[in-house]
Amino acid sequence: MPHRDGGPHPRKDPRYDMPLSLENLEEVFSGCVDYMERRVYLNGDRERTTTVCYLLGMTRNERVSDYILRPLAQDPALSRVPEGELFSHLQYGALYNLAALRRDKLDDVVNDLILGSCALFFPGRQDVLTFPVPTEEKRGVGEPDNEPALKGSRESFVESIRTNTAMVRRHLKAPDLKIREHIVGRQSRTMVDVLYLEGIADPETVERVESRLDELDIDGVEAAGNLEEYLTGNLATPFPTMAFTQRPDRLCQALLEGRVGLMADGLPLAWMAPGTIDQFFRTSQDRAYHWLAASALSLIRYLCAALTLLLPGLYIALVTFHPEAIPSKLALSIVAAKQEVPFSTVFEVLIMLLAFEVIQEAGLRLPGPIGATVSILGGLVVGNAAVEAHIVSPAVLIAVAIAGVAGYTQPSQDFGNALRLWRFLLAILASLGGLFALALGCAALIYHLAGLETFGVPYLAPFTTGSQNLRGHPSLIRLPLPLLKWRDGAVHTKNRRNQK
Amino acid sequence: MRRTLPLLAALALLLTGCSGLPRPREMGDMALLRTMGVDLGEEGLSVTVSTGPRAKGLQGEGESALVLSAQGESLSDAALTLQSLSDSYVFFGYVDQLLLGEELAGAGVTQVLDYFARDVELGLGAQLWVVRDASAQQAVEAGGDQGVEGRLSTLRLDGEMGIAALARTAGEVYTDLLEQGSAYLPALRPGTEEQAVLLEAGYAVLKGDTLAGFLDGDGARGLELLVGKPSSDIIPVELEGETVYVRITGGDTTCRLETEGGQVTGLTVACRVTAQLAEYRTQPNRNQLQTVEEELTRVETARLTRALTQLRAWGADCAGLGVRSALSAPEAWRQVKGNWSEWFASLAPNLEVQVDIQD
Repeated sequence: MPHRDGGPHPRKDPRYDMPLSLENLEEVFSGCVDYMERRVYLNGDRERTTTVCYLLGMTRNERVSDYILRPLAQDPALSRVPEGELFSHLQYGALYNLAALRRDKLDDVVNDLILGSCALFFPGRQDVLTFPVPTEEKRGVGEPDNEPALKGSRESFVESIRTNTAMVRRHLKAPDLKIREHIVGRQSRTMVDVLYLEGIADPETVERVESRLDELDIDGVEAAGNLEEYLTGNLATPFPTMAFTQRPDRLCQALLEGRVGLMADGLPLAWMAPGTIDQFFRTSQDRAYHWLAASALSLIRYLCAALTLLLPGLYIALVTFHPEAIPSKLALSIVAAKQEVPFSTVFEVLIMLLAFEVIQEAGLRLPGPIGATVSILGGLVVGNAAVEAHIVSPAVLIAVAIAGVAGYTQPSQDFGNALRLWRFLLAILASLGGLFALALGCAALIYHLAGLETFGVPYLAPFTTGSQNLRGHPSLIRLPLPLLKWRDGAVHTKNRRNQK
Repeated sequence: MRRTLPLLAALALLLTGCSGLPRPREMGDMALLRTMGVDLGEEGLSVTVSTGPRAKGLQGEGESALVLSAQGESLSDAALTLQSLSDSYVFFGYVDQLLLGEELAGAGVTQVLDYFARDVELGLGAQLWVVRDASAQQAVEAGGDQGVEGRLSTLRLDGEMGIAALARTAGEVYTDLLEQGSAYLPALRPGTEEQAVLLEAGYAVLKGDTLAGFLDGDGARGLELLVGKPSSDIIPVELEGETVYVRITGGDTTCRLETEGGQVTGLTVACRVTAQLAEYRTQPNRNQLQTVEEELTRVETARLTRALTQLRAWGADCAGLGVRSALSAPEAWRQVKGNWSEWFASLAPNLEVQVDIQD
């Protein structure tokens, strides 16, 4: 992502190029109703004053009162200590807050206040003290909605990044777990943390992730796409190139594999980079089930991906162009069912695919109970009525429904969405040239996937030897855990062995 | 490079010889033909086709089989005429059964088999039958509203299970004709009102590409034994005071060319037949079993002799005895390969039959 210094809206650095003073701070926050100031006499001494500044709602009132204001107002030492030592006296212990930072730039002070600090201004000084006293109002740690666990941890990431990093830290207690923070967004100034295990993750990948984060010059990080689309740079593909999870245990597993984690404040999820295609077929439960069951389920997921992608196209190709390839009894049934349907097979399939998407979208947008009703009404009642009225043939309905349901087996909804888009494309190609065009479409899809790369790792790395690195284990199935002795995520990790 | 490669790949498509994309056809408008009968006709060839029973609509209300008949100088000509006779697009891709009239078989079958081999929709996977004492058209029409496809499918499945005559595909027959110069295929004849629409009628033997004759009864059983696939057959054997019924369950036939001083002197056909006691009142003892085996050996030898006598009279080694014996004596086969037909007709094969009765 090139940094466009000469662009129409260059990023100002520093943002506020003014001397640090209370007046300038007031000017910065002019028009902000939540900006608060309070002048305090130190231990009641009218000769010694300080001004406490903070943003209401961003700080925790009890902490400001107990750790800052009470000592300032009541500590007798503050009126006795020499004027020149007062500042360092407050910085190194007179106030009870966990941290105290000395700031001499207006930019830093503004940033600290936004992040929930309060600042102490002393008359005549060019520097200030800031004390982080952020509010901890946040949603409680709940269960992951998208990745439910039958056997395993039931905690899910929340919107507070510090809570999230703490959850990861509780899983991985090694000090090798490094968490580096970057501020992204001109206006949102969102904290984005990069997590990795030193000595296991590929340093080059960490470097790439961090440099791309630093180069990001956007207004705000309000949606997951704000990071995904900017970081990976693969805009021409519908396929997700960074897997994400709601589950701390899954992120930890990825870190142990040598991948790099990414979290943004305000988003209850974490990304795992680099993203390879096999990640989107895995679930957090793969390691919880018996390896034979997990392998069978994994194979079914791959099979379902092929089914959801190819079935409508195959149906069109066979019924419209190559009827001789259909078993005779099935062909007779299709002919019988198709006789009174006024539309062409191509039109039928495309319309049904579209209707399927419409019903799904309607079900998602509506509140839960109504959404379920719409799905039942759309799927069962309308579908059945359409078949009985000879508007669509039952074979088409079955083919589209199987393709749709098979798509829901994908653990990654992003990946499932990409398959849905390609499903349309392949169906259109099949309607133009039958199996010939369908095969060409599949070749184009493989070509497209083979061209993708995230953070230097080929997207199809699990199924290729392009990276010249031996893969840890087969990706289609899950071997017994004692046999999984090699890390899979990093390309150039220094430490590939993960167990004895 | 990333943009050039797909472009080059797309250009390479022009070299595949594909002149264009295939044409779409809606299946709802198709009449899927299942059975085809070919006879000699006044104009050249007469083709009769049948769809078999059809279902209409979702509820599958029965609709009678569509039977069309057309004549033409050639098969393609007749097929084109058939297209014009139907409201639907007549699709030949599902023709599983091909019936040849006796007259046509006598005149030569190569034209028909060749058409099946070359046509885009038809294929040599279709089952091939010869109709005796009637035309193929009569056989196809004998099915009435239900068509004959169901009956032919049953016969084919029965043949695979060994309880009816051996079914053969057009491809198998064509291959035998090209490689051995002769072939056998099952024969049918229309049944009477009380019977099934089509009945088994032994085997037709083709020599060159024309019909040499039919093998019935014991001759047909003998031919099955020669090819190593005897169909289930119940043979009654008279013992002292009771009749034991024995079922033929399997068999294996090997053959070898006999040589003396490097010259071919004869052909030995060795058959091993397995059988089971199907019905008896009292369990036969060892001596009785030996008697049963001797009787079965006599019956099977007679069948083989009958089949071989007839085949030698026609000079048609449709069981491929020569080709099979070539595997064990390639040098001897090289001597007789050129005029095997004459050799086969002149040599009296030495028969070795062994019957095993299994518990």
